[in-house]
Amino acid sequence: MFQNYISVAFRNLIKHKLYSAINIIGLAVGLAACVLITLFVRDELSYDTFWDEADSLYRMNTTFNVPGREPFVTVMAMGPAKGALERYFSEEIEAVTRFNNEWPVIQYDDKVFSEEVYFTDPTTVDMFSLDVIAGDLKASLNDNSTLVVNESFAKKHFGDRDPIGQVMTLTYYATTRDFRIGAVYKDLPHNSVLDFQALIMIDEADFENFPWEFQHWFSVNNNIFFKLKDGVSIDTVNARWKDFTDTMMDVRAQIEPGTNPSDFVTFSSQALLDIQLYPAGDGEMKPTGDIKTVMIFSAIAGLILLIACINFMNLATAKSTQRAREVAIRKVMGARRGQLVTQFLGESILLALVGLALGIVLVELTLPFYGDFLGRELTFSYTDGITMAILLGLIAFVGVLGGFYPAIALSGFLPARVLKANKSAETSGSVLLRNALVVLQFTISIGLIVSTAVVYGQMVYGQNMDPGFKKDNMLVIRNVGEKGMLHQQEAFKQEVLRLNGVNHASLTMGRPADGNESNTSVEIPGDPDAGSILLGRQGVDVDFFDTYQIPFVAGRKYEEDRAQDGAPSSDGATDGEILQGSIVVNERTIARLGFGSPEEAIGRVVRMGVGDGVQADLEVIGVVPDINFQSLKQIIRPEMYVMDDGWRGNLTVNFSGDPQALLAQIESIWQQMAPTVPFSYEYVDQALAEEFEAEQALATMLGAFSMLAIAVACLGLYGLASFTAERRTKEIGIRKVLGASVVDIVRLLIWQFSKPVLVANLIAWPLAAYGMMMWLESFPYRLDTWLLAPLCVVAGLIALTIAWVTVGGNAAKVARANPIKALRYE
Amino acid sequence: MLKLHNLSKVYRTDEVETAALNSVNVEIESGEFVAIMGPSGCGKSTLLNIIGMLDSPSSGDYIFMGENVAGYNEAKLSNIRKQNIGFIFQSFNLIDELTVEENIELALLYHNIPASERRERVAHVMDKVGIAHRAKHMPSQLSGGQQQRVAVARAVVGDQAMILADEPTGNLDSAHGQEVMEMLQQLNAEGTTIVMVTHSPAHADYARRTINLFDGHVVTENLRAAE
Ligand SMILES: Nc1ncnc2c1ncn2[C@@H]1O[C@H](COP(=O)(O)OP(=O)(O)O)[C@@H](O)[C@H]1O
Ligand SMILES: [Mg+2]
Repeated sequence: MFQNYISVAFRNLIKHKLYSAINIIGLAVGLAACVLITLFVRDELSYDTFWDEADSLYRMNTTFNVPGREPFVTVMAMGPAKGALERYFSEEIEAVTRFNNEWPVIQYDDKVFSEEVYFTDPTTVDMFSLDVIAGDLKASLNDNSTLVVNESFAKKHFGDRDPIGQVMTLTYYATTRDFRIGAVYKDLPHNSVLDFQALIMIDEADFENFPWEFQHWFSVNNNIFFKLKDGVSIDTVNARWKDFTDTMMDVRAQIEPGTNPSDFVTFSSQALLDIQLYPAGDGEMKPTGDIKTVMIFSAIAGLILLIACINFMNLATAKSTQRAREVAIRKVMGARRGQLVTQFLGESILLALVGLALGIVLVELTLPFYGDFLGRELTFSYTDGITMAILLGLIAFVGVLGGFYPAIALSGFLPARVLKANKSAETSGSVLLRNALVVLQFTISIGLIVSTAVVYGQMVYGQNMDPGFKKDNMLVIRNVGEKGMLHQQEAFKQEVLRLNGVNHASLTMGRPADGNESNTSVEIPGDPDAGSILLGRQGVDVDFFDTYQIPFVAGRKYEEDRAQDGAPSSDGATDGEILQGSIVVNERTIARLGFGSPEEAIGRVVRMGVGDGVQADLEVIGVVPDINFQSLKQIIRPEMYVMDDGWRGNLTVNFSGDPQALLAQIESIWQQMAPTVPFSYEYVDQALAEEFEAEQALATMLGAFSMLAIAVACLGLYGLASFTAERRTKEIGIRKVLGASVVDIVRLLIWQFSKPVLVANLIAWPLAAYGMMMWLESFPYRLDTWLLAPLCVVAGLIALTIAWVTVGGNAAKVARANPIKALRYE
Repeated sequence: MLKLHNLSKVYRTDEVETAALNSVNVEIESGEFVAIMGPSGCGKSTLLNIIGMLDSPSSGDYIFMGENVAGYNEAKLSNIRKQNIGFIFQSFNLIDELTVEENIELALLYHNIPASERRERVAHVMDKVGIAHRAKHMPSQLSGGQQQRVAVARAVVGDQAMILADEPTGNLDSAHGQEVMEMLQQLNAEGTTIVMVTHSPAHADYARRTINLFDGHVVTENLRAAE
């Protein structure tokens, strides 16, 4: 008996090649997509779970509430917060550590280069279970001239030599010191939000004159982690953040009397295990994921699987027509219903198993590319119990789901009816169900097309957004603020300006899309009510507006021959003195300061500290539009373009002609002037585009998986169409005998399959539009919502076209057949 | 009405060649009632299909209303066919998913006839064959005889000059068979040319002339004396 089932099952598989192929391929693709997505999702969920102390580690995040601005959230905190945490939460917190990155210039073996190094506290050893390969980590992090590096760093710079004991000379800020390699640890796995290749103990003495790194309460440069004591709930800490802020933040002198530190700063804690999936703000060591992405892809995996299951079920019910006779005969022979159900479920599960096998082959084939794309090493493990259990469960699920309805429906046929009439054994119920499922498949497909289009569109929009300044043919030379170049940067700029093809050049503090926050508070002289107002700040030079081609809304730019232009230096001034100068601001500043129209603002004065207790009254001489210099992804802040003698780290070159030739020339000037400082550059347009890398990856992945979903849906539609055509051959024959042309018939069949797609459009459009509107909400600058309408229509047309192409060929073939063939064997 | 001259039909499959018709010469006058008889497999259906332009001859001429249609392509044949010829099949060949009314209307659907006129004509023929009371039923709800009446109605609704019937009574009991034959006779009396394949000598008697086929050849033609 059982043997009979198996052989029938296999014979059926082989006899109905098209049916089997469609089902197996569809399922395989669906399962493969599902497995790939699951690998990604599981990887995302695995972040930082490997640390011994993962459960008790938290990070301190900071939110600045600046009046007149969106709250500014960063995942970093201030240097002094470490000590404050230790003292204030001595009952709750066991250890605190900071991570603060620098790019010291390193000399080793006659080579000069720059590498990222994290300054950290010795407590790191007790908090993060680093895998030490060589040396003594604890001792190394307790010594200010020992460097700890990871395996890759060691391999890269020391090759086969024993890294321990090697000496590198590091220069950062005013410090130049020899560092001995004291320990080597295994590279952090990719599934960690922490990302450091080298560690040095923080010696605050090194930063004495650079207090913003570890001493200022209004400067955030550190990722601060803390470890709770056993049995302490994070709620205890969370409940006391406000009091902590007001008690510990020593900033009374800097804020208005009558206000509290907690009016400006809000601290919060974030569990280490939540960091990867719940992005909190700027300042991560590396880009994190997002629970939304994980959910989107989990949903897509589910949807693709659903589509594949629907295929399975639809084709099975369609085919049931053809097997009615076999079932009827088996019943006449005495088969019980239960046996028949078992038979059909068995066949379905067998088919699903073959699909799984092929699916796993597909996974193995695509995994390397997929891993490459995601930038992580993903492996599909056959020995992993959970994975295998999930997969087999999935197959049982798909097999049972796909086999259940036809099994019940088929085994429920009345043999007499089936055998007597040569009628189609289909009930209208099963046709209805099938149509409903096709509608569902296409609803999903159309929804995915719309989502892909919107994500892609938003990415293109972001990449092509006009930042308000020139971005093409713009080169930023970095490191000009490094020791060795700093004192001759003006000379370097002049040399560069002399080169052919260089139109303008400007020394600035920041560079486009660096996202750096620098703020200064100003007052309006004669208007004490206005209080002190915090404004964003970019440090620029006299050529900034020409170089970046920023137009003026009102007033003028800084001019070389006006001695009073810019913010004066405090050098030589006495304490309490008020100097004179000028300032250029953006439109939002004018609004924030209440200066009326840009024209009215010209000539108004703001007062600002210029250091050492000296202040300056700066006359507003120019107003520029709101430009996205800081980031294309943040709402533009009120921003001042301050020309002063402050630190400048970048030289922007506005050029025309061949960038490669120019770069070579610039580099050779650099090598002559500052051979000990690494030469580093970027193009402005590329830097801006990089801000949208995450969206790009999302769009690509979404596009790939939606295409798969649609392909699987179409495969099913193709199968259904050929079954339908088969089922309708008699009808088509009759119609042709009655005078229908090939075109009439093709139209008839295509229309039959267009109906579910059209209905699917009506369902998918509002859903997709609503979903994508929600998604777009998170972008301050986004596609116009009305664009969703044409996108929906286009997605609908695409789906319809795909359906037509899928069905059309088959329909034409059927329509061309001679009708007597169809009518002969009645 | 039509004339077949030296008409042959050869079916080629991978291995075998079957000569279904062999130099057949047949002439059918307008208004005639012709029965085609012969053993199974002798080529009756093939002959009828060629007359009905559902199939093309391998060689020979087919003159239909003065036109030699032997070499015409499918679209042209389809056009002539839908204007002039109606079909009745042994197994009725109604579409299961359409009602009686819709099945009949189907024959007008490809003729560019306005919907109102279609309805009128459908109602008229349904009356004529006596199934008006079943207009909204599905074919599966009708008896065989009733189904064949629907098929007859469908064959004549387009005012076709000729009806081709391939064993129209083959699936019916004798009472229902008789009914259908009477209907065909009535149509013939009204001027419709009828060509019918049958195994029943009794039913062949309704025809004025019988063509006997054997192995693709016309063997005899009996003309029944007018009574
Ligand atoms: N499409 C076809 N392909 C091959 N052989 C055919 C085809 N149609 C009919 N024949 C053969 O032609 C001969 C005549 O068939 P047919 O006209 O159907 O006979 P009848 O209707 O008299 O029973 C038979 O031998 C049949 O097998
Ligand atoms: Mg026959």
